[in-house]
Amino acid sequence: MSEGDMAVIKPEMMKSYIWLQTADGSIQQVEQEVAMFCPMICQENIQKGMGSSKNHAISLPERVNTAMLSLIIDYCRFHQVPGRSNKECKAFDEKYIRMDTKKLCELTSAADSLQLKPLVDLTSRALARIIEGKTPEEIREIFHLPDDLTEEEKLEPLKNSTDDPRIRLLNRLYARKRRELQEREKLKNAELEEERSDDRSVDDLLSFINGEIGDSKGIKTSKNKKKNRRRKDQQKNTCLYEANEIHEESSNLKFACPSDEVNKFRASPSLTLKLQDLNDDSLEDMVEFDDGDIDDEIDPALKEKIDREVEDFARRLNSDWPQRIQEILALDMLEDIQGGNGSYKQNIPTSANGWNNFDQMLTGF
Amino acid sequence: MGDLLDRDLISNLPQSIIESILTRLPIRDAIRTSCLSTKWRYKWTTLTHLAFDEKCVTLSNDRTLVERSLIDFITRALFLHQGPVHKFQLSTSYLQSCPDIDQWILFLSRNDIKELVLELGEGEWFRVPSCLFYCKKLTRLELFRCELDPPPAFKGFLCLKSLNLHQVLVAPDAIESLISSCPLLESLALSYFDSLALNIRAPNLKYLCLEGEFKDICLENTPLLVAISVAMYMTDDIAEHFEQSSNCNFIKFLGGIPRLERLVGHIYFTKYLSIGNDQGILPITYNHLKIIELYQVSFEDMKEILVVLRLITNSPNLQELQISGSSNTLAAIEASDLDFWEKQCPSDCAFGRLKVVKMTDMSGVPHEMEFIKFLLKKSPVLETMSITPCAYVLDGRLNMLIELVSFKRASPEAEILFIQD
Repeated sequence: MSEGDMAVIKPEMMKSYIWLQTADGSIQQVEQEVAMFCPMICQENIQKGMGSSKNHAISLPERVNTAMLSLIIDYCRFHQVPGRSNKECKAFDEKYIRMDTKKLCELTSAADSLQLKPLVDLTSRALARIIEGKTPEEIREIFHLPDDLTEEEKLEPLKNSTDDPRIRLLNRLYARKRRELQEREKLKNAELEEERSDDRSVDDLLSFINGEIGDSKGIKTSKNKKKNRRRKDQQKNTCLYEANEIHEESSNLKFACPSDEVNKFRASPSLTLKLQDLNDDSLEDMVEFDDGDIDDEIDPALKEKIDREVEDFARRLNSDWPQRIQEILALDMLEDIQGGNGSYKQNIPTSANGWNNFDQMLTGF
Repeated sequence: MGDLLDRDLISNLPQSIIESILTRLPIRDAIRTSCLSTKWRYKWTTLTHLAFDEKCVTLSNDRTLVERSLIDFITRALFLHQGPVHKFQLSTSYLQSCPDIDQWILFLSRNDIKELVLELGEGEWFRVPSCLFYCKKLTRLELFRCELDPPPAFKGFLCLKSLNLHQVLVAPDAIESLISSCPLLESLALSYFDSLALNIRAPNLKYLCLEGEFKDICLENTPLLVAISVAMYMTDDIAEHFEQSSNCNFIKFLGGIPRLERLVGHIYFTKYLSIGNDQGILPITYNHLKIIELYQVSFEDMKEILVVLRLITNSPNLQELQISGSSNTLAAIEASDLDFWEKQCPSDCAFGRLKVVKMTDMSGVPHEMEFIKFLLKKSPVLETMSITPCAYVLDGRLNMLIELVSFKRASPEAEILFIQD
């Protein structure tokens, strides 16, 4: 169907216009050949006869607001002219596509609803160029994406897994705990305290776990081992193991330690061991493993030592369990114990202060 | 969180746009988007177009490590993938034959694969598993450095439109029956085949590209062929075979393709066509042939010149002609048969549409100059005749120019460009 057929018969001097109405109610007229470049408008005009007058303006889809419409019209106005060389088109497109990301996304959406495929391709390419090569944090920032995946989920499933079971263990413990606590948070509607990031190495953390627990403050900045520090106040710090690995570069083991106030029962992410079979000494069986993928930076001798320490820790938990549980109950630190007393196969107390219970257990107050 | 949802710019775009964006990313970046947020966790898994290469993994000097991590990467990606895979591309020199590739092809054969490109490394060639032959929906197949062995019960790829085999080991009759059993085949490219004698029967074939040592090519049934590009290498026993052949190769090759629009011939192509060439009336006119490019034409061999003449005199709508010579100047200062041009050369022809002629690698041998003279005389609408002398000819250039200047031109618009580099 030629343009001549479609146009209302008018004197040659006057151009024919199509009337368009955007979702926000404003009506405007656009030259016919420009508007017809959009398949959706073309269809409305031909099949339903809409758009020929102000009263019968074509209603554009919701995603096309006035600003977007004007951008799209600019695009159509350039591209509908026949005989443009490839070079000209490319130059125009490059210039045209320079806009902030928010507009770019809206434009993609609007062009898609008008079925304007060339523009959708152009904007998709631009968005792909924005995403390419960026870290997830950067991408989240650009597109305002919520950071709502758990650490476990964030661990990219396609990286090469490390062979260090200890690191994987910590990954999983952390991930599981965090997830449980987040659910609790939602239920309780409690505030989340800020995570602090801790750059201590793995051996520091493990010594911390093993017996040098009692660190009360300032874990965040210090890289030194905190030996035998007693908790003077009720401020307890819990440590998190956050796998922050997305990239090819070797990851650092980062520990986030939110502070936590015991008496207020504030929910904070904390690490507890999910001891499924406390009777079993083997570390592997004690916890469920997901795949961690942090590069190992610890030398073998130290590894040995740490392995032993972790094993000790497990055994200690095993043996002290009944006594600890009494103490814990007594202190009313727990919200609930899943599975009841003496059932070693259940999860240990998963309260917000779960980690602190371990502190207490191990230091034996 | 409500505020954040409103601010989220991109996650709520229609899935088709998300896929359009993700397809334009390298596969590794696309898969990484699963870490962005809960909504993005599985957006990449429904991509229908997957392209893998060694950029997916960290490169290092240890080849086996890279190989292993690439295999892991692809296996896990496929395992996490949901839905059909229409296009799968693997191009890497780090992988050769390994059992994982068999698994991937099996996976693809169960997931409606339509386009498969497999470009592997130089080591042991990968033997394509039989499950490939059960990919019923295959429309495009491209294999580099593989072994192909169709099972006896194989009836052909009924949807295949494009076949590209490059350095593929396959039995000659298997190749022929593969081609003829793909009724919709439109584009065929075969490279680096050894001593292949080929009968091509492909009623829908439009584009043909051959490169290798072909003993014999017969385009038996290719009426719709539109563009051909052939590079023929010669070996001693192919040359022998040529000596003994009694067929007219010209007819065998170019006899059944009336719709031809573009012809490109490299290396020994013209020589191949010259074998058994008779100068009888050609039963076919190439009414659509617009562009001819012939390389390594030896103007010392009268037979090759005859092939070129036969071709261009039967192409009334020829617009562009490019000929690259390969003469040995030392041999031909005095050429025989020079009187051919006066006496036997077709004189009643005119190249009514010929606009552009490029003669490259010209050594200035007599037959080349006569040919150029001939073209200039017979091309009334010629616009450009550009001549590039062969790099080794330094002294003869002036003589070439002197001769050129004296040639009569049928076209008042004709420009002669002598290109020195």
